[in-house]
Amino acid sequence: MALRLFFESRLRFAVLALALVATAAGCGTSRTARPGSRSWLVKPHQREYLADRIMRLDSNGQERAADQHVLVTREGAVGGGGTAGGGCGCN
Amino acid sequence: MQLRATALAVVCLLLRGAAPVWADVEAASRVTFFREPGNSNEGVTVVHPQTDVNAVLGESLSIGAGYEVDMVSGATPAIYSAQSGVDAISGATKFDDFRQAARAALGWNTNTVGVNAAYSYGWESDYRSHTLQVGAKGDFLERNFTLGLAYTRNLDEVCDQNNEAAQGLLDLKPLVSSATCFQTGQRTTVTRKVDIDTLEPSLTWTATPKLLLQFGATLQLLDGFQSSPYRRVVVNFQGQAPQERLPEQRQRYALFVRGNWAFPSIRGALSMGARAYRDSWDLWSGTLDTWFNKYLASKILVTLRGRYHKQTGAVFFRSGPDLEIKGPTGEYWTGDRELAPMDTILAGFKLAYISKRGQEQQAFLEEVEINAKFDGLIYNLDANAPNADRPYALIAQLGAALRF
Repeated sequence: MALRLFFESRLRFAVLALALVATAAGCGTSRTARPGSRSWLVKPHQREYLADRIMRLDSNGQERAADQHVLVTREGAVGGGGTAGGGCGCN
Repeated sequence: MQLRATALAVVCLLLRGAAPVWADVEAASRVTFFREPGNSNEGVTVVHPQTDVNAVLGESLSIGAGYEVDMVSGATPAIYSAQSGVDAISGATKFDDFRQAARAALGWNTNTVGVNAAYSYGWESDYRSHTLQVGAKGDFLERNFTLGLAYTRNLDEVCDQNNEAAQGLLDLKPLVSSATCFQTGQRTTVTRKVDIDTLEPSLTWTATPKLLLQFGATLQLLDGFQSSPYRRVVVNFQGQAPQERLPEQRQRYALFVRGNWAFPSIRGALSMGARAYRDSWDLWSGTLDTWFNKYLASKILVTLRGRYHKQTGAVFFRSGPDLEIKGPTGEYWTGDRELAPMDTILAGFKLAYISKRGQEQQAFLEEVEINAKFDGLIYNLDANAPNADRPYALIAQLGAALRF
């Protein structure tokens, strides 16, 4: 009964979910990193896969422009298609 | 003698510098063929060739130039009205249009920051567009994050019928011909302005060695004539059909997230994107986009794509029958399909052949890419919506790029 009353409050449920995610994230990092150690950052030698053309967000610029050119005059919404230049620091 | 020695020294310096200066050049061309057949007329056909050349000079400076053309032909609805069934469009005017645009770009990039600027000019018989774009980006936290900001300013001009003699909004006449557009000393047409400001901030995060995420937003402010000058809309049961009339101000807002996830074991990557949009004409939309890339062999890359887009109509949009029975909402009326409630589904694939120079090889060309792409676009519209007789479109692209 008490449990049901507790979960009837959506706010409490959301707080519980966030706390669980935060705890899980904390557990995940505590094994590999100390606070401030920056070991969670991806290092240059770990960017092998990110450097491939199929992983780059700014590749195929001409093709994306052509796609946008077609859709922008046929749908009422424009923008928010992602911006160029968002690399992975691979170069 | 001294002059000859100096000239020789300059030539030697240029030759020494030639290799690194022109070490990174890309030339790319693409042709897009768009076909939207209609059940009641010939529909619309667009052929869109484009060419871009970009070069990195030295270590930081880059320059670029591009040129593109739109060759449009087909039939467009002359009047948006309420006829029964799918034949909600009465009459169709055949048209041909030819648009050109040229651009030039300049960039300066170091290891962690970059700035760029570009200018483009587009022109056609009834529209001119000046576009100035500036952008900046910076990497931080060991290049795990990239913060980008782009600003674009459009100064456009639209040709419109001279309606200074109109007594009221219902007397607005459409543009009949673009023959006198942008000419001085004539009173048939006038030039109307459209100013567009677009701001796009973005944040890219290298989340893991296999996952790249990007978050961003678009804010766009439009001020000026945004109607189609040729289109007429039947707005009451008496059959009055004035020129389309849209508000002159529009604010558009969009939020997006994109992610690229590598699957090295299968030499593939999955890309997904989501976008939420709203504007001051109360048009809401959501878009989901996904691609899957996979190398089939060392030189063949195949891409599969799926996209779903759903939008509400603009607050003043009315179907043809509603316009005739209830009349327009306020002082605005439109026959533009893109302002109608609808959803679209796009699916397609792409095949690319990529040949790279080996590290030991001495060759002028570093990389050659040839690709072919095909997409199908399906519109899901109300039967009385504008252009409801055009339920789908086919889009084919052929591209080639040389890097040397």
